[in-house]
Amino acid sequence: MGDNMSGLSKKLVSIMTAAVISGSLLTVQTSAIEAYNPYSYDNWGDPVSSQVGYTAEKFVDGITMGCGSFVEPADLYISYDNLMYIADRGNNRIVIADLDLNYIREMKEFSYGGETLTLNRPLGVFVDQYTGFIYICDTDNSRVLKCDTEGNVDRIFEKPVNELYEQELTFNPNKVCVDKAGNVYIVIRSITRGAVMYDKDGEFLGFFGANAVEQTAEVLSNAFWNLISTEDQRARTRRNIPVGFTNFDIDDDGFIYTVTDSQETSTDLLKKLNPRGNNIIDSLGVDNEFFFGDIPPTYWSIYAKRSSLTDIDIGPNGEINILDFQHGRIFQYDKELWLLFIMGGSGEQLGTFRSATAIESYDDKLYVLDSRKNSITVFERTVFGDIVTEASNYYNEGLYAESLEPWRNVLKYDGNYVRAYIGIGNALYNNFQYEEAMEYFRISLSQGYYARAFEGFRDQWLKKNFNNILFVIIGIIVIWITLRILFKKGIIKIIRPNKGRF
Amino acid sequence: MMDLTQGQFVKHVLTHPFEGYEDLRWKKSGSMAIAWGIVFLLFVQQFAYSRFYGFQYYVEYEKIFNIMPYLIRSVILFLTWVVANWAMCTLFDGEGTMKRIFINSAYALIPYILSYLIGTFISHFLVMDEFVFIELIQIAGTCWTFVLMISAMKAVHQFSFIKTIVLIALTIVAMIAILFLLVLLLTLFQQILIFILSVYTELSYRLRV
Repeated sequence: MGDNMSGLSKKLVSIMTAAVISGSLLTVQTSAIEAYNPYSYDNWGDPVSSQVGYTAEKFVDGITMGCGSFVEPADLYISYDNLMYIADRGNNRIVIADLDLNYIREMKEFSYGGETLTLNRPLGVFVDQYTGFIYICDTDNSRVLKCDTEGNVDRIFEKPVNELYEQELTFNPNKVCVDKAGNVYIVIRSITRGAVMYDKDGEFLGFFGANAVEQTAEVLSNAFWNLISTEDQRARTRRNIPVGFTNFDIDDDGFIYTVTDSQETSTDLLKKLNPRGNNIIDSLGVDNEFFFGDIPPTYWSIYAKRSSLTDIDIGPNGEINILDFQHGRIFQYDKELWLLFIMGGSGEQLGTFRSATAIESYDDKLYVLDSRKNSITVFERTVFGDIVTEASNYYNEGLYAESLEPWRNVLKYDGNYVRAYIGIGNALYNNFQYEEAMEYFRISLSQGYYARAFEGFRDQWLKKNFNNILFVIIGIIVIWITLRILFKKGIIKIIRPNKGRF
Repeated sequence: MMDLTQGQFVKHVLTHPFEGYEDLRWKKSGSMAIAWGIVFLLFVQQFAYSRFYGFQYYVEYEKIFNIMPYLIRSVILFLTWVVANWAMCTLFDGEGTMKRIFINSAYALIPYILSYLIGTFISHFLVMDEFVFIELIQIAGTCWTFVLMISAMKAVHQFSFIKTIVLIALTIVAMIAILFLLVLLLTLFQQILIFILSVYTELSYRLRV
């Protein structure tokens, strides 16, 4: 008896040791080099440990670049000719560097019709890839400069004199971008009605892409009281004003992506706007609930700080990189808005931030600007990131069969990666392997895809077994008819034990 | 006439929603065993609905399993209904005893339970577009139960139709009150338990020194 017990406990101990060893091996693999615990979300919205797609490679400040220390740098932009423009807010200059972060030159003084202009705390910089003009948000001078690379100012955008624009509002441009047609969009911090829009001749056109008001209980009750209150009372109630978006980026197809930096709202955190200013995100994909940034926990949510998204960048494959100022995290989504990776954290180590303000991407690198560390952190894509990117690129182009192998590789690295199960499922589905596809959709909790696969599976099954089903049905009918005939002729009798009404 | 076994009476009640309960009453028939069986089936149905429903239609958070929600949604809710109904009928001079209310209400639940069990079963064979058939069965079952329940309450208390409706509405209000008080009581007991436990812990630490 005692021997048995000890044998059993030994077995248990060995199993547990094996589990502990394999567990620790896993953690060594995932987070040996990162200064934080990489995680991702499963389909329930619960965080699960994961792997990083990008790892911090180096950390460069102004002194190592050779242009003197940055002071509260505010924006970063990588132009079409592979130059990096940094809006150095505290030094009132634009620093230009190459992509290896070697200092090239700086822009401090601009000439405009003979007079010399200087910047005052610039917050944003943008380079138009079609014309080569540089746009600079000269924030405290309340203007946006459009200049060439030599610093010759071509046009100045100032507060529009128009009845649409309330004149008592200050004009403090925060970010600027330009579309293919030369229209200029400027995010003004004091305006929540969307970006101010100018045509290429500097004519004020209106506002672009306002956020919607979040439907809260207060908004609904206001709507109710407004039905019955007088004009006078209505003027005194709190107005329902949406939170304005804080930053945007434009992709090569001309879609403008906006992010909203707000702890209070959860609507329109990220929008993809077509040239009419309509958000087209809602019409994307099945089985994808869109949430950007960290998912607020169900319990203890008052202790958890919510993400506040400050910058957005569209990568070369249409990936969307979002910067969370609150936690110093980078969220990368693919162009179908599936979460790919979460990187970063707040802290002092490499790969973490104190005040992350701007993000840019080039090829397989991410550049993140920290305005309190006065530095740029360069992230490089990991092997895992390469595989995921390859797989999701194939997948998003509709090449499901090609994406199958990379997705299977992804699962070898990270079994928690939900997206891979969906990818494999869809590849199998397109190959008519419905039953296997159903299994993968079941694991990834994709009900919509599962329903489709199940439909295919049932059709397949019915086709295969049609003869048998027909045979069974005919058999049942024949037996039934014979039995009835036999009953009627009195050859078989049923003896009812009860003589009740039934 | 009407020499039916208990099992046959169930069938009679279900297929004759208006006279069935009156027959049940005059024959003083109806079995507590069957009624408890039906309540157990209600529990099974609740469980099957959230755990064994076709994946493409419904999926429940599967990382935590707790039997209590299913028990509360079936057995406890039903018992609350019976108690609340009995309490209300005493105010309205209803004739029903607790036992009669229990039996009659339980019999009325059968179509609801069956329709949902059938729905759960065929949800594994039907695709998304055919969900309307499942819905049809479930709605039909629920409506049938509703009619039966009104008839059951009408027969057990010998009320008029309007009075029955009022009774049912008041029963629901009473149920909410009872459940609220139950939750309050539980929290209170929890507090007391925590207090006693902490006194015990404190004492045991001091005695050890």
